[in-house]
Amino acid sequence: MKVIDIILKDLKVLLTDKKTIGIMILMPVIITTILGAALSNMFSIDENKEQITIAVVKEYDYGKEVDLFINTLQSEQFSQNMNGSQMMNITEQIMKFNMEEMFFKNFLENEDIKGILNYKVIEKEEAKSLLDQNKISSIVILPDKFIYDMYMNFSTPFRNEIYIEVIGGSANYIHNQIVEGIMKGFSEKVSSLIIGKNVYLQIGTAEGIDMSTLFSYKNVIDDISKTLESANITLKTEKVNRKKPLSSFQFYAAAMTAMYILFTAGEGGKLLLEEKENLTYQRMAVAGVSKNKVVLGKYFTIFSFALLQITIMIAYSSLVLGVDWGNSILVSIITLCAAFAIAGLGTMLSAISYSCGSYKMADVFQSIIVFMLSLFGGSFMPIEVLPRIFKKTSNFIPNGVALKAYKNVMLGNGIKEILTSLLVLIAMGVIMTLISIYILKREEGWKNVKYNFAETSKIEG
Amino acid sequence: MTLLQISNLQKYYKDVNAVDSISFDVKKGEVFGLLGPNGAGKSTTISMISTLIKPTSGQITYNGESILENPKAIQQKLGVVPQEIALYPSLSGYENLKFWGHSYGLRGNELKNRIAEVAEIIGLKDRLKKKIEKYSGGMKRRINIGAALLHKPELLIMDEPTVGIDPQSRNHILETVLELNKQGMTIIYTSHYMEEVEFLCSRISIMDKGEIIASGTQEELIEIVKGQKKINLKFDRITKELTEKINSISYVQNIDTQDEEMVLATQNGDNIFKDLISKVSETDSNILSIDIKKPNLEAVFLHLTGRALRD
Repeated sequence: MKVIDIILKDLKVLLTDKKTIGIMILMPVIITTILGAALSNMFSIDENKEQITIAVVKEYDYGKEVDLFINTLQSEQFSQNMNGSQMMNITEQIMKFNMEEMFFKNFLENEDIKGILNYKVIEKEEAKSLLDQNKISSIVILPDKFIYDMYMNFSTPFRNEIYIEVIGGSANYIHNQIVEGIMKGFSEKVSSLIIGKNVYLQIGTAEGIDMSTLFSYKNVIDDISKTLESANITLKTEKVNRKKPLSSFQFYAAAMTAMYILFTAGEGGKLLLEEKENLTYQRMAVAGVSKNKVVLGKYFTIFSFALLQITIMIAYSSLVLGVDWGNSILVSIITLCAAFAIAGLGTMLSAISYSCGSYKMADVFQSIIVFMLSLFGGSFMPIEVLPRIFKKTSNFIPNGVALKAYKNVMLGNGIKEILTSLLVLIAMGVIMTLISIYILKREEGWKNVKYNFAETSKIEG
Repeated sequence: MTLLQISNLQKYYKDVNAVDSISFDVKKGEVFGLLGPNGAGKSTTISMISTLIKPTSGQITYNGESILENPKAIQQKLGVVPQEIALYPSLSGYENLKFWGHSYGLRGNELKNRIAEVAEIIGLKDRLKKKIEKYSGGMKRRINIGAALLHKPELLIMDEPTVGIDPQSRNHILETVLELNKQGMTIIYTSHYMEEVEFLCSRISIMDKGEIIASGTQEELIEIVKGQKKINLKFDRITKELTEKINSISYVQNIDTQDEEMVLATQNGDNIFKDLISKVSETDSNILSIDIKKPNLEAVFLHLTGRALRD
């Protein structure tokens, strides 16, 4: 008997099983389609196609807060040692600097931010309603005293805390993260400017320069304005090396492929024990078929099924969902390496099940471990938005490594960027195959009391 | 000519003595029977002959060559029909036969022709397209046999091939065995059904508790119980008192009871029935039926072990 006969027979057995086809072929196809479509908003961060729209709610009254600030500035606390014309001069200088304009024009409308964010200034109730309808991604609330506090922070030695609230919608997690990131970036920029201003004022005062002179330097105000205009907010998104980010269909096609080949390993984990329990294993032994041949047959059955599974997923997602998998040669290499690792994993599970004489291990793998590996491997959510620990664990999990490699190729990267992943997959395959050989060598093989043609109960009876 | 020689074969499993120093030989062209109740050690013996398990000690030679040293000496010439169905349920009968043909190196037209011939032998010529899981128990048994015939084995071992099937399929299998033997195939047939062994086998070894307790032709075995009768009695109830009374009859050598039935091994005696009826009438039990049987293998087993084969 040739190994190919065992492989073809096993593939036939697997492919005639409706449950197997349902779980391993149809499920990933269906789930990719559903998740890809349902979560497309989460991944739509391509600035050429779609911008994030937010609502800005002003809870302050600009005029009143400016008046309040001028009153504060001209109060005795600040105007001591200054005559009336000096005070007027300082106020004039400061008021040239429009705090509202600074937030909207210099910050939200600068080139970098404009490429990502669209904003409209509306009332809070309207904003909430738009958020409920998913017409906007988030609401940014500029609080009461925002203008007053900004003036105070920029022109006096005081530092008043300002809370800019960001309310995120439930539909698009990544967009929320981006908006929060941008607002955080604004706060950090403002903070650094305030610190700079305080240092400037402190040094000036220490040198005996009076306040009116300090604020008469026109370039102080200009510098603040320019710094905000050039605010570079770095976005942590799927963009790698500034290449086109992944679409939801791309991500889930790769993620579900990487996840569902784990089920093949689980199903493969039952193959040896099934042969043993059906007594077909023993029948082959009687015909002189060696154990090595049978195990090799199982190994390549799992390998072939994983290949078939991945091929179907790639074909379906490309032809039906329009997923661009990237360089086909690199995709083929990753596929071979992933199937190799999965074959090793499946054979190892098979050896354990055979050795224990129970399907428990394979069942636990399929019902629990696959989902844990999928979570830690980044098949459910992009690893980039998950806690750091997930990024680390994904490097040691076959599906995580395969997914990383597929994503890299989808993003247009070359062999250099996926080489480590390929080597890790090969190493996993080799290690797990060696473990299988070790387990099976410890077994007496066919010579097993329970599963020779004579059953134990009968012997004892 | 001796085809298979078993000498002092032993198999221990921890503290279980599954096969205890048995010896017998199988001659070319005969149907050899291994008769014994469940647990007698028949299947373990077959597993050792099939090279599935190694004996603890002893020797098995096929055509004079030790199969323990060279398993290949028997593997390609041996066909084994296991007691359980050893097939792939989700594949069709044809796909199963094709796979098992491959396991013996058959390919192409040769395999195709052999599948057709075997299908004819097992009477499933037009029913090979169905999946095994859709077959009846009898049809599964037949495919199970067919898978062992594809490579035209010299020696066919059949381990209880008729367990759990309908009478029609059983008859077909028995006829198939005779037909294969007519064509020159040597067959080892194990069963706990006495009638099957009596019908098929020219020589028989009776096994019990891992030992061969008797061997020979049917005539030679029945000679052991010559002059004995086997009487099957059915009572409305069997009490301890009844058993003691019957046991006190001098002609009664052995009593085996199960439920309301009693099997007596008796020496021929003129007054056996008179004594029997007299003793039963002394008790509260009533005889519902009496069946007197000629000495047969069942009687031999009962005589040798004190138990009926069905036990």
